Amino acid sequence: MSAATNDKTDFRTSGTSWANAWKIAAGVGVLGLAGAGAGFAADGQRFAFSYLFAFVVFLTIAIGATFFVLLQHLTNAGWSVTIRRTAEFFMSALPIFALLFLPIVANLDHLLPWWNPDHGAHAAHQTATQSPEHGHPAPAAHAEHGEHAAPAVAHVPGAPGHRMSDEEIEHSLHAQVMASKDWYLSHRFFFFRVVVYFLFWTLLTMKLFRNSTLQDTTKDLKLTASSQGMAPAATFGLALTTTFAAFDWIMSLLPNWYSTIFGVQIFSTTMVAIFSVLVLMAYAMRASGVSGNAITTEHFHDLGKLLFGFNVFWAYISFSQFFLIWYASIPEETVFFHLRWSNGPWKTVSLAILFLHFVVPFALLLSRNTKRYAGQKVLVLAASLLLFMHVVEMYWLVMPNYAAAKNIGPQLSEALAPHWMDIACLLGVGGVYLAAVFFRMSQHPVVPVGDPRFARSKRFENV
Amino acid sequence: MSVEITTVSVPEGRPALLLAEYETPGACMKAAAKLRDAGFTKFDTHTPFPIHGMDGAMGMKDSRLGWIVLVMGITGLMTGIALITYANGIAYPIIVGGKPAISIPSYVPVCFELTILLSAFGAVFGMFGLNKLPRHHHPIFESDRFKAATDDKFFVSVEYADPKFDADRTPELLASTNPNHIEIIEDTES
Repeated sequence: MSAATNDKTDFRTSGTSWANAWKIAAGVGVLGLAGAGAGFAADGQRFAFSYLFAFVVFLTIAIGATFFVLLQHLTNAGWSVTIRRTAEFFMSALPIFALLFLPIVANLDHLLPWWNPDHGAHAAHQTATQSPEHGHPAPAAHAEHGEHAAPAVAHVPGAPGHRMSDEEIEHSLHAQVMASKDWYLSHRFFFFRVVVYFLFWTLLTMKLFRNSTLQDTTKDLKLTASSQGMAPAATFGLALTTTFAAFDWIMSLLPNWYSTIFGVQIFSTTMVAIFSVLVLMAYAMRASGVSGNAITTEHFHDLGKLLFGFNVFWAYISFSQFFLIWYASIPEETVFFHLRWSNGPWKTVSLAILFLHFVVPFALLLSRNTKRYAGQKVLVLAASLLLFMHVVEMYWLVMPNYAAAKNIGPQLSEALAPHWMDIACLLGVGGVYLAAVFFRMSQHPVVPVGDPRFARSKRFENV
Repeated sequence: MSVEITTVSVPEGRPALLLAEYETPGACMKAAAKLRDAGFTKFDTHTPFPIHGMDGAMGMKDSRLGWIVLVMGITGLMTGIALITYANGIAYPIIVGGKPAISIPSYVPVCFELTILLSAFGAVFGMFGLNKLPRHHHPIFESDRFKAATDDKFFVSVEYADPKFDADRTPELLASTNPNHIEIIEDTES
């Protein structure tokens, strides 16, 4: 690299502990995956849910990073240039999730009740839609659940004159809802979408990363123009793929439930996650000196503002989803909160998310001073808390479906049963992902030294 | 250091401001820093565009506006809680959609909106208050040269009302900062 700046640092990680971070992450990842593999042999269904949980925790960070990078190109942002490369590292490892998705492919039967309707996980929506006062009927009575393709009118059970019980009506309605989704929730279409998502994400992130890193040496302005030119269409593409991936991999865990805002909900989560990561990374890079004087108080201030803003946005969307479901009180919709808000262990988690994902970070990040002064310690505290709560939120999204699949009612304390496999999968997926991120980081300068706005970004001030 | 000092007079006026004109942002900023170091508090800078670092050079503290907004926001929140508790819980406890008369989720939109509304009021009107607006006239507009503050010149104005102001020494201080020109501006009010 040519000495592009007057800084003492060359913005390379060689000779610092960052250079070897990917090896440590890879080691943790291999150990985690080995543990998860042992868990898979012992309890395949638990593994499937634990793994999906870990997968979405890190996938949302990678997608958030891609959104962040696109947003900077979309707005021709000068302020963010010095921290954009950090997001690009986290973005560049997005294609590796195509590999990490394979264990999920092997376990779709365990995860998705609609995948094989006659099979085990199918019990999920039975438990879920049943109110506690109903006794659990004999499984034989539910054989009709399997016939999703059957037209709903042919579904009225019993002889003429038979008066349907509440439960039969409920199941009949349920079958109607499921029949209407058959075209979407089919194996072939599902795999087609998986291929589309990963193809799009891989091509997009490779192109953006290549444009940026190539510019480090060539300083070619056309590369900036190229990224900016593709940003508008790519933002649409990323928004659509993220939305439908969220529908496919998280929402369809409870196939009779639907929420049209769910994609936006996941989008807001990805943004909170990436801004938390960027604050922590910027802090760590400044502390280790690898970023020189390129990341200033002004960048922390702006990252803090955006973290605050997107966290409020997250709360706004989450509440909007809850509020409409609460207000309308339609069984297909309330089932989601029935699993998470009934007087059981998940209610405690829901309340923890309300206070620790919104109220406390709101108070911590509200003041301008906490984002600018005292070495950004309060900002770092809030970002750490939000990153932790991001993990909790993903757990809260995925795991109640495991209890439902096991026919454990949400009121029972066993409905929330943390498992060592959750940690193993988290370390496994996280280790592999971060190994890819840190490997890229060891190969390139940690700031885009060839960007035409690089000097401007170092100088910028919040007026 | 010979800088021409002229006086902009108005009938029955008395001196209100010293106005120094500079050619560059740097010179303007240095003058501001000099006034700050000399302990002046009632002075201002007037430039065609925002200049990074000027806040520091003028020794300006963080705005108190945030506290006004916070107080107004909390007031809005409390108003929302009180309003919906009274309206839905006490005055007209009507059951809608099977929900209890006082149910917390239904508080949120009202409390949210009132918090935002009063915060916005606090921000706008608090800014007016801190800037002493609306104000229909300021003596600085008596100066013809001052029109260039929106074009290509940079100005520092010092009020006679500043406790540190001295009719002899302050013009000397300003003259030592290398201005193009210094004016004494008179005012008929206060």
